[in-house]
Amino acid sequence: MKAPWLRGFTFLYLLFLYSPILLLPIFAFNASKVVSFPLSGFTTDWFVEMWNDQNLRIAAKNSLIIALSVATLSTILGIFAARASVRYRFPGKAPIMGLIMLPLVLPEMIVAMSLLVVLLSIGVNLSLLTVIMGQVLICTPFAVAILTSAFQSLDRSLEEAAMDLGETQWSTFRLIILPLVMPGILASFLICFTISFDEFIIANFLGSGQPILSVYIFGQFRFPAKVPSMLALGTVLVCFSIILLGFAEYMRRRGIAKAGGKDTGGFL
Amino acid sequence: MATTPRSEARAGLKLISPTAIYVILLLALPLATVLIYSVMTGGRGNVSLPLTFDNYAELWSKPVYGYILLKSLLVALTVTFITVVLAYPVAYFVSFHVKPDRKSLWLFLITIPFWTSYIIRVSLWFVILGYDGLLDKTLMSLGIMDSQLNFSSYGIPAIIFVLAHAYAPFAVLPIFVSLEKVDRSLLEAGQDLGESRWVTFLRVTLPLSMPGVIAAALIVFIPTVGDYVTPKLVGDGREPMIANFIETALLKLRNYPQGSAFAVVSMLMVGIVSVVFVLLNRRFIGGSK
Amino acid sequence: MTFSDDRPTMIEFKDVHKYYGDYHALRGINGTIKAGEFFSLLGPSGCGKTTLLRTIAGFEDISSGVIMIDGKDMAGVAANVRPTNMVFQSYAIFPHMSVAENVGFGLRKDPRSKEEKAKAVAEALEMVGLKGYGNRAAHALSGGQRQRVALARALILKPKVLLLDEPLSALDKKMREHMQVELIKLQRQVGITFILVTHDQEEALVMSDRIAVMFEGEIAQLADPETLYRRPNSKKVADFIGTMNFIPTTVLSESNGSVEIEAKGLGRATLDASMAPPAKGESPVVGLRPETLTLLYDDQKATERETDGVIDEVIYFGDMTYYDVYLGGTDVEVRLSMRNVPGRPVLEVGDKVRVAWSPSALVLFR
Repeated sequence: MKAPWLRGFTFLYLLFLYSPILLLPIFAFNASKVVSFPLSGFTTDWFVEMWNDQNLRIAAKNSLIIALSVATLSTILGIFAARASVRYRFPGKAPIMGLIMLPLVLPEMIVAMSLLVVLLSIGVNLSLLTVIMGQVLICTPFAVAILTSAFQSLDRSLEEAAMDLGETQWSTFRLIILPLVMPGILASFLICFTISFDEFIIANFLGSGQPILSVYIFGQFRFPAKVPSMLALGTVLVCFSIILLGFAEYMRRRGIAKAGGKDTGGFL
Repeated sequence: MATTPRSEARAGLKLISPTAIYVILLLALPLATVLIYSVMTGGRGNVSLPLTFDNYAELWSKPVYGYILLKSLLVALTVTFITVVLAYPVAYFVSFHVKPDRKSLWLFLITIPFWTSYIIRVSLWFVILGYDGLLDKTLMSLGIMDSQLNFSSYGIPAIIFVLAHAYAPFAVLPIFVSLEKVDRSLLEAGQDLGESRWVTFLRVTLPLSMPGVIAAALIVFIPTVGDYVTPKLVGDGREPMIANFIETALLKLRNYPQGSAFAVVSMLMVGIVSVVFVLLNRRFIGGSK
Repeated sequence: MTFSDDRPTMIEFKDVHKYYGDYHALRGINGTIKAGEFFSLLGPSGCGKTTLLRTIAGFEDISSGVIMIDGKDMAGVAANVRPTNMVFQSYAIFPHMSVAENVGFGLRKDPRSKEEKAKAVAEALEMVGLKGYGNRAAHALSGGQRQRVALARALILKPKVLLLDEPLSALDKKMREHMQVELIKLQRQVGITFILVTHDQEEALVMSDRIAVMFEGEIAQLADPETLYRRPNSKKVADFIGTMNFIPTTVLSESNGSVEIEAKGLGRATLDASMAPPAKGESPVVGLRPETLTLLYDDQKATERETDGVIDEVIYFGDMTYYDVYLGGTDVEVRLSMRNVPGRPVLEVGDKVRVAWSPSALVLFR
């Protein structure tokens, strides 16, 4: 089965997907302030400039605080919801789950604005905390989706077997369920972290001008002089996400191998 | 271990309550507030009684609102169409022409751009396509053009192009998943019954993968129609879409009721289009049975 | 083959009911299971046999009634403190643990030393024929091996009752037959009560001391295998266990100790009262097993009774041949089985034959 046309098209498609990203390292190491071909020489000045940018450091630190908190909170809330929806039948399950998953089908701006309107009208001061509150809403559906499939692949009789062998509900959860859904928990954490780290709308509108990385990047690209150091930052971030993704994929495969299953596909 | 329906219900509700309370307080209540604001009388930064439908009447009477909604809808639908049409052959290639043990790697390659900063990707297009950007400078220095092309300023086409790039990888995965589910023996049966490969594709593979296509369309449509960053950066911000307009109404004009009414109508529009997609899908599944 | 009734009672059911919402899953279960008995719950899917097993284990609450295990009422006693252990249909081997960790799982709170526990695990593995498998990863085991691990894991805790939920259904035919014998041996060796849930009547007959046949949430008959096979108490039980021919019948008279009947195609016969279970209000039929009917050679005479017949269908099985025969010029057709012995040719469709039968093999259902 050969398909030269399809193969060729797929390569072009990948080239299209990657083209702007490939420019990142090229111009991050280019010795000109102006982004244009032909290239003018190799330099690491932009990385130095990026490293010395105090505002950038604050923004990165804030983003890390937000992303770690959001990933943790969303994953915990996701565990509660996924476990409850897979394991129990209860009244109001469909509307509750629907509400939890709603941000997936709502324009993010509407989630952000409705929350903002309420926060402003009850007099809450905008801060990193309000950003975290908003982003958890956006990330929880992803956590629930990932964790639901993790809990679903768990054989119910494993739990019963542990109880039958003398364990309590809590020790069964700790000894059997938690280790088996751990790959799902890690995947959920990593994906929520990435989504939060990239997120712009909530960071921008619920953050009250606090420096947050995505907002900072968005602002800096408007100044041509700042562009090269932003490209350097972009290069670092892309490497960072590839490492993170590679790690997530590795964990996922290890999880499958551990459970003795077959690899049936890729991410999500 | 509790198995009676009542104790099971209690355990389930107890378990889901932290998440449920969180979304009720931070999502359901704010959305309800917006809904209530949209029928109140408002001025700058405050709302008051009486209840009124004037806000909705104004949306109807002033063409600018309709224009923004229609434009956002058309941009999002165009982007959706482009991404799905481009993604289908790619998903087909990975599903049918890549060895099973290499499929993960291909999907990994396709999804990496999706996981790299969206802001950076869109901003890069700004650097490339903007006035005096990489494209202009390169073309001029190569002597192909003698003045700036400034593609970015082309407004809507530029927005469509950048959005189509940003959401492209979204579309591949669901189509791939639905193609993977197509029973390969059905295709052999199709060819066995004397159909050519192309006709087999049209009569068997394509209908069976339709659920994935619809899912892909929804996954692309919803974030595109509400996109904020691209219209702001590309097209010099002269072509605001729904999200940009909500910002203007709520934060700049601070007309809460008017902005709320617009947000409600936008939600309705997105909801209706989504429902149409889902119904299409249902009809497709029903029809192919 | 009757199981001694003087053994002490291990489990007792008193009018056990179970509802799932409106669905009445167990409809008044009564009966006892003796200590050291190999007991089977047999029935088609949805008959409540697994539900009953799970109420013994404590995974399901009962809606009303009493379940006693070893003289203690189990109401409110959680699964993890009941003196029962279970082998699950899916085996429920913990995939993230080694074989030894799986087997030793229930010993976590055991006060014995680490070495003693390891020794107990090794012994349990040896008992199920998995000596030296302790360090293997659980997910790398075959179906049969998983099952042995599940057995060892349950038996190491020395439960009073071992519950087995369709433990052989996931194995192929050869392996299943092999494990049936092993399970019987193991049960004799450890001497504890085994309760097996199965939908396979052959498996139940082979393995059990006594069997409870269940239909629609009720025990239809509780008896030893031979009684179940030879003297089923209803047409339904007779039909579920093995093959049985049913012949329309008229009850002529009934006096103390015997019933006079006339069966279509067979003629008149007198049945012992033990072969006529209580009437259920159905139109009367007599049942007879295929192997109680014999085709006679030309020069052979029946020891008891004989009837003419015509062969309608021949089904060749290698060691056996099944014949479908019309009896005595009527439209009553019975199936009978004959061993294929050397020197005796397989008969053909349309051949006229004589069929020998015995009134004592007839069971009357009415």
